[in-house]
Amino acid sequence: MSSTPTIGRGPAGLGDRRRMLRSSREHPAWFLIPALAVLVVFFFVPTAFNFIYAFTDWSSFKSSIGFVGFDNIVALLGNGSLLGDLRITLVYAVLVAIFQNLFGLILALVLERDTRINRIARVAFFVPVVMSALAVGYIFQALLKPTGALNGIIGAVVGHPVSIAWLGSTSWTIVVVALIHAWKWMGLSMLIYLAGLKTISEDVVEAARLDGAGWWSSFRLIRFPLLAPAITFNVATALLGSMNGFDIVQATTQGGPGGTTELLNIFIFRTFGQGLFAQATTMSLSLFLMVAILAFPVIRFLRKREDVL
Amino acid sequence: MKNAWKAATVLAVATALVLTGCSDPGTSGTSSAPAAWPAQNTKLKGTTLTIWAAANSNKTPASVIAGFEKLTGATVKVVTIPDPYEQGVQTKVATGDKPDLAFWQPTGSELTALNASTNLQTLDGAPWLSSYAGNLKDITGLLGGKRYAALVTTPAVEGVYYNKTIFAKDGITSTPKNWDEFIADAKKIKAAGDVPFFEMGGDRWATQWWVQVQLADAAKTGLWDRVNSNKEKFTDPTMLGAIKNYQGLIKDGYFNSDIKTATFIDQGNALLGGKAAMALQVNSFFGELQASSDTATLDKTIGFFPISPSGNVSTFIPDQSNALVAFKTGDAQREAAARQFLAYWLGDGYADFVKAQNTVSLETGVATPSTVPSALKDAAASLGDSVGSMQALAVANPDLYINLADMIQGTKTPEQVAQVTQDQFAQLAKAQGVAGF
Repeated sequence: MSSTPTIGRGPAGLGDRRRMLRSSREHPAWFLIPALAVLVVFFFVPTAFNFIYAFTDWSSFKSSIGFVGFDNIVALLGNGSLLGDLRITLVYAVLVAIFQNLFGLILALVLERDTRINRIARVAFFVPVVMSALAVGYIFQALLKPTGALNGIIGAVVGHPVSIAWLGSTSWTIVVVALIHAWKWMGLSMLIYLAGLKTISEDVVEAARLDGAGWWSSFRLIRFPLLAPAITFNVATALLGSMNGFDIVQATTQGGPGGTTELLNIFIFRTFGQGLFAQATTMSLSLFLMVAILAFPVIRFLRKREDVL
Repeated sequence: MKNAWKAATVLAVATALVLTGCSDPGTSGTSSAPAAWPAQNTKLKGTTLTIWAAANSNKTPASVIAGFEKLTGATVKVVTIPDPYEQGVQTKVATGDKPDLAFWQPTGSELTALNASTNLQTLDGAPWLSSYAGNLKDITGLLGGKRYAALVTTPAVEGVYYNKTIFAKDGITSTPKNWDEFIADAKKIKAAGDVPFFEMGGDRWATQWWVQVQLADAAKTGLWDRVNSNKEKFTDPTMLGAIKNYQGLIKDGYFNSDIKTATFIDQGNALLGGKAAMALQVNSFFGELQASSDTATLDKTIGFFPISPSGNVSTFIPDQSNALVAFKTGDAQREAAARQFLAYWLGDGYADFVKAQNTVSLETGVATPSTVPSALKDAAASLGDSVGSMQALAVANPDLYINLADMIQGTKTPEQVAQVTQDQFAQLAKAQGVAGF
């Protein structure tokens, strides 16, 4: 946008109109078409279909697609699996958000100073972020199985063979897979917390030190509150991102043992695989709604915390 | 300005709709006039056929492809679809992507899942049908009175693979003749301090065999017809009883102690290594044993017997590696070439195929190689008076195995297993438009 000032020539409206005319000549609206078409094809239309197909009987069994109204939604609500899986998804997302942020923050604090070793360590902790999630899942699955490497190491330390099924507990496996998810993404949180720590003015920290604050109290009272924007971003992305979790859990437990780690996306995948495309779409719509309903209050709450700044 | 915006939006949406095409993309198919069967050696220079196969079946057609390419000049490509194979294929077909041929489970429920009448060529009147031995011609591959699949290897059967050494050690001289004898033998083995049964609860999928073989008698008298018309349910005494029976055996300690986490590979190792006496499994289990042992050892240590409540009726369950389907691609020449390929596979190419795969022959004119292990021959021989599994006879294939695995983990009761399975079955049947749902 050019910002040529219109200096007192004629009424103000004339200058505005001329500017508009010029800008529409320089940037005609039809220039938007290519970008808009891509956006519409790959974003708006699939999203719209996500709504439309939820009200049809689309399946692999027949060629026609007919509208069935709210049948799919009624059937899903009557079936306990959907609510059970939504609960598991929520628990998983909360666990991932806690672990990922805790690990990321600790790493950022430990690796805060710009030494050579710290730089190397930061890269090392960032590597899992760029790894394939499925590969991470399969590696952990191999490490954690009863005859896996982890039990081998523990066995060597305690002096007798150990065969703990790390992914075999119906109550704790969800924590283990959430830890794996958090391990993969903690590097990203670390990076954002590092950037957040860098923005804190040296003066403020120094003033706190002169006032006699130790490391802990300067962190608790000064630096942590000033990290609020980084926390907003990290918590929101970790929480809402892991609601869409699939790959790591599919690779490690496939939703087992006993369905205790069956995230909604795994259930959707299974339903889609049965050829019930419309029902799968309805479930993904309910996941979309849950993420949307959760996103607004969470983000508002986190943004409120930033008001101290 | 405003109008330009409006125009841009309308144009973009229009472009998008044209590009995405507002209809079910997996429905284009040509009409189905009775197909002609070209001679096996018709020249096909310049024709390329694509076969979709799973990771465990992509090597199967190698000898047939080599022979066919030499005979006709065609090119045949095998594309491996990653596991889970069936879901991958269904998704691709639903979005309009089709091969010329694909390995596919030739059962009614799985043919329905591919929308056979729209997507598949009918193979009625195929030249190889008269060559099939015994009852193999009409055992599977049919849907709504039409033939859609070509059986190339012997359909899998559910039955008991046992360790001969443990049976001899624990004083069992002949294989059980019915369910009661089967359980009596298990008691004997347990009393001798051995593990009677090995189940792979970690990998889940074999759990359903235990319920299905107990249903063999009921299946003979039309159980699955009643289930298909919603007159009998998984929650009714016959099926719920089988599920409870299975849980009872687990609770009474007849199974391996690591049943919750054990895998398919653990199961093979346990039976070969004598850590367990029996495993209720299908043919692919024996393939797993063959991968780690030779025919002589297997003949010496591993035996097979079918089991059902009142006798030795086996339950057959054809799988994806047993058969192929030919797709309607809309290209008449390639469709004919695909039929010709199948005719060659089950015609002049069959003897080479059986030899290369070291498998049991399905045809009267082709002998089974002498190097095929005896347990496999026994399994194939039991097909004669076998009865269909849930996969073979039910209109839909619910995730019974996942629910049973949940029961092993303790998160579902037998009643819940039956209810969830029935709900899913009804949902699938309704989506197919089956009468009564």
